[in-house]
Amino acid sequence: MADNLLEVRNLKKYFPVKSEIFKRTVAQVKAVDDISFSVEEGETLGLVGESGCGKSTTGRTILRLLKATAGDVVFEGKRVMELDAKEMRLLRRDMQIIFQDPYASLNPRMTVADIVGEPLVIHKLVTSKEEKYSKVKEILENVGMGAEYMNRYPHEFSGGQRQRIGVARALAVDPKLIIADEPVSALDVSVQAQVINLLQDLQKEYGLTYLFIAHDLSVVKHISDRVAVMYLGKIVELTDKKELFKNPMHPYTQSLLSAIPEADPKKKKDRIILKGDVPSPVNPPSGCRFHPRCPEAFEPCPEVEPEFKEYGDGHLAACHLLNN
Amino acid sequence: MVAKLLEVKNLQTYFYTEEGVVKAVDGVDFEIYPGETLGIVGESGCGKSVTSLSIMRLVESPPGRIEAGEIIFRGKDLTKISEKEMRKIRGNDISMIFQEPMTSLNPVYTVGNQIMEAIMLHKSVDKKEARRQAIEMLQKVGIPLPEQRVDEYPHQLSGGMRQRVMIAMALSCDPQLLIADEPTTALDVTIQAQILELMNSLKESYGMAIMMITHDLGVIAEVSDRVAVMYAGKVVEYSNVYPLFEDPKHPYTWGLMNSIPKLDKDVDRLEAIPGSVPSPLNFPEGCKFNTRCPLAEEKCYDQEPPLEDTGEGHLVRCWRYRDLEEIKKRGERIYEDRGVLD
Repeated sequence: MADNLLEVRNLKKYFPVKSEIFKRTVAQVKAVDDISFSVEEGETLGLVGESGCGKSTTGRTILRLLKATAGDVVFEGKRVMELDAKEMRLLRRDMQIIFQDPYASLNPRMTVADIVGEPLVIHKLVTSKEEKYSKVKEILENVGMGAEYMNRYPHEFSGGQRQRIGVARALAVDPKLIIADEPVSALDVSVQAQVINLLQDLQKEYGLTYLFIAHDLSVVKHISDRVAVMYLGKIVELTDKKELFKNPMHPYTQSLLSAIPEADPKKKKDRIILKGDVPSPVNPPSGCRFHPRCPEAFEPCPEVEPEFKEYGDGHLAACHLLNN
Repeated sequence: MVAKLLEVKNLQTYFYTEEGVVKAVDGVDFEIYPGETLGIVGESGCGKSVTSLSIMRLVESPPGRIEAGEIIFRGKDLTKISEKEMRKIRGNDISMIFQEPMTSLNPVYTVGNQIMEAIMLHKSVDKKEARRQAIEMLQKVGIPLPEQRVDEYPHQLSGGMRQRVMIAMALSCDPQLLIADEPTTALDVTIQAQILELMNSLKESYGMAIMMITHDLGVIAEVSDRVAVMYAGKVVEYSNVYPLFEDPKHPYTWGLMNSIPKLDKDVDRLEAIPGSVPSPLNFPEGCKFNTRCPLAEEKCYDQEPPLEDTGEGHLVRCWRYRDLEEIKKRGERIYEDRGVLD
């Protein structure tokens, strides 16, 4: 069994909602509310959920791009939340992120060489300009781009190429863990596959570990080894991907799976159509957060929050139904 | 023989920009029969939205212009009629819903006011009756407490609710054709499922035809009777929905279908189409897909293939579709991994 590269324990991230005049905290958005999971070395853990479920906040809080409200993140045995600035900078070499929007995440005034080379300079991995350029050239080739692009600016590239640049930047410092936050959702369908294949190739080549955040279940299924499903700041189900898609336990996972339109007109799905919208995380429902939309809610659901526990062979879920 | 509701013939819509002429739609043909759903699928820049805007005559001019072609709606060529006549058709006989409901609703009017405006413009009813009809429409599209919601502003509604309001507005005048341009793209999957179900049930009760524009093959498979696949301003494949998904004949359609991961089938590696869509300022000579097509040969670079009928109304624009057929029979992949792409 491989070791856990990353462990997240009871992580919480609340954002204060302030009153307009006195800036007093009047409420809290519980974006991430007590979640725990671990990622083994070399695996891909998919984190999936609809908008507002807290999946991106989770990624950013792990990297300390956002300050956690409570909880622990352990990376290779180091407690990330307790590191000082210098230690944290050192750790950032090992944990990198790829963002969703390849248009917004690249500085338009920097050339590709400077964008990809910047982390090398910051982490003092290169000592001269020549060294930087030769390293950048090598990295660009690894993501399928020629060295002739080095002196161009982001606006000269298509979405797919920009995302390759984003991947190259993350890869530059030779990280162990890459948090990919919706890396393909802004891309055209035909280009998505290119970037997914690239991420898989790089994983094999460098033994990378991915936390792959996405809303698209079929993409997550394709790339992940295990999948965690989030709803309103909580993980509601976590298991091996084959098991999750064959035997989804949580009613939310079931409805999410049934809601995906499949590219096969012969398939007529028995769809579980959920009622209403995702409630606001400012005032999440009591008990199980899914109960107002759950087609199978019963007595304990509005009252008691279900425990997130194992139901056989590493299949974790949080639902009262499973205790019956 | 049922009469066609809409027939688009050789539509060309160009944009005259400083950098040159953008041939956004360059010779598009299709037809829609009453009560059916035509799906138009393609990636960004393929001209699917400009096609719909051309039908509504909403292409901004300048820089855009319908250069050539006919748009025949119930026997009338929409490219030839006056703006006054067009206004009677727009929102009345043909309605449209868009991807981002927040930007298509006016933030300073209540949703009720906006639906009433459409009703009062096209039907001779007074304000009271229009309001009654607006509430009725809100109820039909499944908005809870319609009497209360009618007086709310768009920002008070969620994304899914706003799209329902857009649909209510579009259907308030009983259109014969509803053009839906990526209506669920901005929505979460569980909300998308709600909206697709709503559109399906409304289609049945209203008997209207739908032109569904999307990039999502899943949505296409689910709602369409017939499908037009667009690439670089042209229809490259046109067929009933079943044969299209069972037996895609164009290498682009084939590539699109194999580049998306499937829930019920595991593959180690996706078949990615290399490169990206060429710039519309700079489309290649010959077949427009030749820059990305693994089957491209000399002829493909010289001559544009015609949209050819391969039998039973399955049309394809490709010189080599028969060769693709052979490759498919052998069960091979056509998109090799070239490592370096773009």
